[in-house]
Formats: sequence, C-alpha cells, structure tokens
Amino acid sequence: MKPKLVKNNLIREEYFYMKHPSGLDIYVHPKKRYASSYAIFGTNFGSVNNKFRKPGEESYTVVPDGIAHYLEHKLFEGKEGDAFELFAKTGASANAYTSFEKTAYLFSCTGNFEDSLNILLDFVQSPYFTEKNVEKEREIIGQEIKMYEDSPDWKVLINLLGALYKNHPVRNDIAGSVESISKITPELLYKCYNTFYNLNNMCLCVVGNVDPDAVFTSVDKKLKYSPPISVERFFPTEPKEVMNPEIIQTFDIASPIFSIGFKENVSENHRATTEEMVYSDLILQCVGSRTSDMYQELMEQELINTSSFTNEYFEGPGYSSVIFSGESKNPYKAAEIIKKHVQKIKSNGIDEELFQRIKKSVYGQSLSVFNSISGIANLTLDFSLSGKDIFEYIDILQNANINKANQALESKLDSKFSAISIAQPKNE
Amino acid sequence: MQNAEKHVIGKNINFTYIPESKFKTTTISVLIFTSLDEKYASQNALIPNLLVHSCKKYPSLLSVSKKLEELYGTSISPSVGKMGDSQLISFSMSCINDSFITDGTNNVLESTRLLCEMIFNPDISNNVFKKESVETEKRQLIEEINSELSDKKLYAKKKCLKIMCQDEPFGIDPLGDIENVKKLDENNVYDAWQRLLTSGNIEIIMTGTGFYEPILEEFKNQFSKIKRENVFSYENKIIKKASKIKEAKEIMDVVQCKLVMGFRTEIAKPSEDVESVKVMNALLGGTAQSKLFVNVREKLSLCYYCSSKYNAQKGIIFIESGVQEKNILKAKEEILKQIKDIQLGNFTDKELNETKLFLSQTLEKVKDSTGALNSWYGTQTFDKKNQTPEEVIEKINSISREKVIIAAKKITLDTVYVLSGKENQ
Repeated sequence: MKPKLVKNNLIREEYFYMKHPSGLDIYVHPKKRYASSYAIFGTNFGSVNNKFRKPGEESYTVVPDGIAHYLEHKLFEGKEGDAFELFAKTGASANAYTSFEKTAYLFSCTGNFEDSLNILLDFVQSPYFTEKNVEKEREIIGQEIKMYEDSPDWKVLINLLGALYKNHPVRNDIAGSVESISKITPELLYKCYNTFYNLNNMCLCVVGNVDPDAVFTSVDKKLKYSPPISVERFFPTEPKEVMNPEIIQTFDIASPIFSIGFKENVSENHRATTEEMVYSDLILQCVGSRTSDMYQELMEQELINTSSFTNEYFEGPGYSSVIFSGESKNPYKAAEIIKKHVQKIKSNGIDEELFQRIKKSVYGQSLSVFNSISGIANLTLDFSLSGKDIFEYIDILQNANINKANQALESKLDSKFSAISIAQPKNE
Repeated sequence: MQNAEKHVIGKNINFTYIPESKFKTTTISVLIFTSLDEKYASQNALIPNLLVHSCKKYPSLLSVSKKLEELYGTSISPSVGKMGDSQLISFSMSCINDSFITDGTNNVLESTRLLCEMIFNPDISNNVFKKESVETEKRQLIEEINSELSDKKLYAKKKCLKIMCQDEPFGIDPLGDIENVKKLDENNVYDAWQRLLTSGNIEIIMTGTGFYEPILEEFKNQFSKIKRENVFSYENKIIKKASKIKEAKEIMDVVQCKLVMGFRTEIAKPSEDVESVKVMNALLGGTAQSKLFVNVREKLSLCYYCSSKYNAQKGIIFIESGVQEKNILKAKEEILKQIKDIQLGNFTDKELNETKLFLSQTLEKVKDSTGALNSWYGTQTFDKKNQTPEEVIEKINSISREKVIIAAKKITLDTVYVLSGKENQ
C-alpha cells in the first residue's frame, strides 16, 4: 500500500498520508532543512470520555474523572523500566499530554530518530499497570492537581465550563480530583486502554528531517494489528441553557481575573468541520481582535489590558463555546460591554473592511504555525483526530466570504446562553 | 543555515543577519541592554509597551493594530527582562515572507518600517510623550506587576531571587515596582526613551531570507540621527560563595507549597568552565532522567516537578519544587543528598553521556526556531567571541566526569525560600 502525497501550492508544504492496514492514520510531513524531527502518537481519548461501552456489552462502563490523564502517566512505565530511560539513550526529549478530548505522546530529537520512534511505538502499545506502580503515581498526580488548584488562570476556565455545562463531562477538570483518582485501579486502566488505545482510534504524525519511506517501513514493523473496534461514547443530553450564569472563587491574588463564555448548541459527539473551524476563527477575531469595537471600548474604559486579554474558540465532542478572558478591575462591567458589542455585531453584521483585514491576519498567523515542526505535528494530530485537514483549512480561509461569516454568526454568541467565571482577590 | 553576518552600525550597535529560507517568516529582534537600576527600572519597563502601542504615523492602538492586521498579522511584541546585572528591553517583529502573499505587498520591508517607526518615531511633541498614552501604559504596567502573584511558581522563584541577590543589581525586578511606576510622567518617560537609544547596548538580529540590505540601511539611517553617548558597559557582580544560608518563609492561601533553593556555583561567564556547570546541572535536575526527577519525584513520589536551572551570567543555580508542607524537609534533604552524590562521583558514565547527548540535541534545535536563533546571537553581546551552537556542543562533549565533580564541589547553598499554605500552620 502506497502513501498518498498531499500538497498545498500556496504555502508550499506537503505531507504523506496513509491509512495503515492496522487502522492507524499516519502522516509524515518532511521538513528536510530542519535539524530536528518530531513524532506524536495520539488517541481519541480524553477526560470527557468517562462513560462508554463496546459492542456486545450491555451496560456502560463509568470511569473515575481523571483516568485518561492517569493512564498517560502510567503508560511510560513498562515491564523493563520506564520509557524516559530508553529515550535517554537516544537523546530525544519526550513528553505527553492529556486534554479534554485526546491523549498524546511525543518526542523531538536531532539524531537517532528511528530508535526513538521505535521506543514511542513500543511503549504506547505496551501497557503495564500493577497495583504497586499505580499506587506510586497517586501522590505525584495528587501534587499535579494541587499545583493547578493554585492557578487562578486554570481554575477560572474550569469553573466557567462548570457554569456553562450542566451534564457534559467537559465540566470536570482534566486531571480529576484527589478524591476521584483515589478510585483508579490497574483494572480500570486496562479497561480504558483496551477500549481506546486501538489503532483504529489513533493517529501518528511525524514532522521534520526524515525520509518518509523509511518512516513508513519502520512503523509497519512495529504496529500491533488489532481488530477494528467501534466504541460507543456516551454523552448525556446537554440543554441549551447554562448551568449557572455566574461563578466566583477567591484566591490570594492582587486583581480579578475573568472568563466569559458563550455556549453553542451542538449535538452529542458533534465536532466542527474544517469549514466551521475557519469561520469560527474569523468571527472570533472580527468580534474580539484589537481593532474591534469591543476591544476599543474595553480599553478606553480601562477594563482590560493588552497583556492578558485573550479569546478562544473552545470546541470538542459535543461542546462548543466562544470564550473571552483577561484581568479586569471590574469583570461585570467588562462582561456587559462584551455582550453589548456581540449583540451589535450580530444585528448589524460584520464590517466588510474589518472582515478583509482579519482574513489576512488569520492567514498570516496560520502560516506561521508551519515554521515549527512541533506546531505542524500537533495541529495535524488535532485536525486528524477530529476529522479535519490542515491544507483544506488554508484553502477555505483563502476563499472565505463575509456572507457565510454572517450566516455562521447567527448561531453563535448568544448572550442568553452565556456565563461568567471570576477569580476574586480574597480581601475584596 | 549559512553563517551569521555581523555588521557594526555604531558604537555598541550591531546588526546580525542570519540567512535562513526554511521559515515562512522573517523575524527581527531589537535588544537594548542597559543598567539594571532601581531608579530607572520602571521607566525603562514602560518604554517597549508605550512604543508598540502607537507612533507618530499611527497614533493610536487602533490604527497601529489595523496596520498590523493589514500586514498579514505581523506581530511586534515588546518585552522586558534582564540578563545578568543588565536590564533588557526588547522588541520582536515577526512577519510572513513576501513569497507567500499574492497581492504584491512588500510585507517584510513594510513590517520593518513599522517597527522602526515605533522605536524611533513615537507620538511625541515638544520633547514629551502624550500624557494620555503614558497613563494608559502606567495602568497596564501596574496590572502586570500585580498579576505576578497569580503564578505562584513564578512568584516563589522571583522572591527567592530577590532575597538571594539583595546586594546585586540582579536582585532588582526588571519591571520595577508600583511606587516607581506611579511616579512616571510624560517627561521622565521621554528621558528614558532617549537614554535607551543614546546609551543602550543594542543588538539587532534578523533571521530571514533574500535581501537584508534595505533593512540594514533602514536601521543605519535611523541611528545616524542619534548622538550616542555614555554607552552602557556591562559589569556583572559575581558572588562566588554563600557566606551563610538565608532562609525565608511566606504564608499564603495556597494548596501546594513551593520550595525554591538558590545556590552559588563560583563559575560564571566568561569562565571557560561554564560548560562543566551546564552538564553538572543537567545531570542534577535538567532532564527527565536527572537525579532530582528520578529520586525526588519518581522514587519518593514527593512532587510533580523538581528541577534545577543554571544561570551562566550570574553563576547561580535555582532548584524548584512543589510539595506538601509535611514533605518540605524531606524534599530539601533529598535535593542536598543528590548534590552530595554528584560531588562524591556517584553517577555512571552512562548517565553522564546521556546527559551530554540530551544537551547537544537541545542545542542543535536552536537552528529550527527563529526566536531561539535571534536570542542565541542577541544574548552573546557581551561575550568576547560569538559561538555557534556547534561550538558549544563540542565543549559540552569534552567535559569529563572529573570536571563535573569539581563543579559540583563548588556549589554552596545561599537561600531557601518556602511559600506555604495557611491550614498547615
């Protein structure tokens, strides 16, 4: 079976893609003039997948919050020692992360690429969970959870999700809680592993100074064939309405931090298409970039600052929201102004000149991602696991038009379905 | 990548061109080094933000931002930091290359001109900045200083550094302090801007493709209008050994305690031995196979992170960890035990070689990032001779286990800082 070459002439990039007979999606994006290479191996299993069943199973398995992240930690450990020890021999720098919707294992290196790739493919395919090694990790992850509990930036987002979503598991912290991880056992880890770490549910992306043929050949030797699996991922029905319009937590900080989210109505398991992603990104910038009316008024009234105000299109299986965050001396007033401008742009439509400018700037920013091999690899993985394509994104962006943007705006940014989360200094 | 080309524009003003066509962008960094002085820190800290948020040609945040969006999202980022005992004010411009644009815009040249407009041609009249703009930036700088409390890990590290280096310029916060920010006005900020251009030590680094001459000319032209005087000369105060251990503890409403330990190493630039310390530090706590990671985290399960960082300008090592209150003493003892182990030579050749391999690969990666390349060359401004990553790799590889042991034996503990929670009191 031959890999398919996919090119984009505008940005002059190309990658090879193959659906391997094992079911694995493989992308190899050669960047010959780079000194380093990067590989990332990911699965469509994140913190939101806490209830599922395989065909033939009568009841759903419900797992403790934080198990995907716990599994990520434990997968590094093998019968013969841990994967970091093996990577130390090749000189590669290895890491992993768990998000709401996926788990990924990665390394970057400037030599011994094939050896490192073999280590990566081996350890992700060889779980080794024992009572002892699972127990040992509990305190380490407990400290990781506590570190995040002291981070107002992180808590303000998690609290916001808890306010926006009533039932959807995206409302739970990725790492779970000290209480929830106390219930994690080797058996539960194996259950999750055997359900979600199936090559049909995974993707491998390699970017950098590599020979694509050699990569496909060595991957072929390492992949353990597994029968295709269809997992039923259960998500509870989520109402349009938010759970709580407002949530406040106090911290030992000097000034308030806020996040305001606008919940969108999407069906269970829905993921945004490439086109939806393009228009969401454009709309987000038209509403919240530095040249928007909203930003201007927030600055004039001294309600935000340039170093902290951000916007985000937050999307995953069955959830989708637009989020604005930052420090503000008066979060309520900031929220009021944000809502006012969102309403204004929804009723008047997007300004043509603004739209054309934003199109250029989003193109430039998307192109910049291709400077970095880790940027390309992570984006490719994310897009592949959610059924999108990076070159298609560039093409749709080039041809984006304002009518479609205005149309897409109609179902977005409804203040009726918004919530605010605030991290408040404790002395106020 | 071909060799970097260095052009001298004026006294202590260099322009370095790094020809590299593999990137989609051209990146120009302008680094201005000046003395790190309590009196001027806040004034200087205000400058980069003030300059990038408006200029004569685009006199508001709105008009500047519109122009940046028109230039396909060119970013011009201000930053304030320090390198050794100097304050570092910098601007980093990144724009997409002309060959990726179909409408004929001279994106690189236009973006560079905008960068120059900001630095050299701000919105001033009669030798003062606009009061209104200065007030806006004062508010934002105060908010930025205040926000440091939100990141407890960073806060603890800065606090330890401040206590440890109270008698060195390095102990001064490059953002200054709120009292001094409040004293800023359109006059003294104007003076600060002038002082940076007339007396700062300036490095301009460009990583890009094709033509650089018009860009070099642009900067030459701008600097030809500036009379350079009292040019900053870099002096680093190096304290070789800690005389006694300073201990400090602070209580806050936190769930996890932060432990930061500051050490003196005796060895700082321009010493030939800095690579010995780099290897020793990586072996101790710079990798996922380091002594600290393997023992404090993996074997004893005391923490999620425990790592060490070496500052070669100052010859200082900081070890940081987040632990439970009841485990602080245990963590501290284990960290000291790991240092002792290296001093006693309790590490294998395999560990040593793997550490060197990891460091070499990390250095090789510098060439794959425009930001890392610019900073690599920009921050060597006070070194006698510029080194390439390859030259440093060679030095790293030549470090023997004896040299690592010697470096470890020179370490003395200077400061222990603990940020701990309330409930545990």
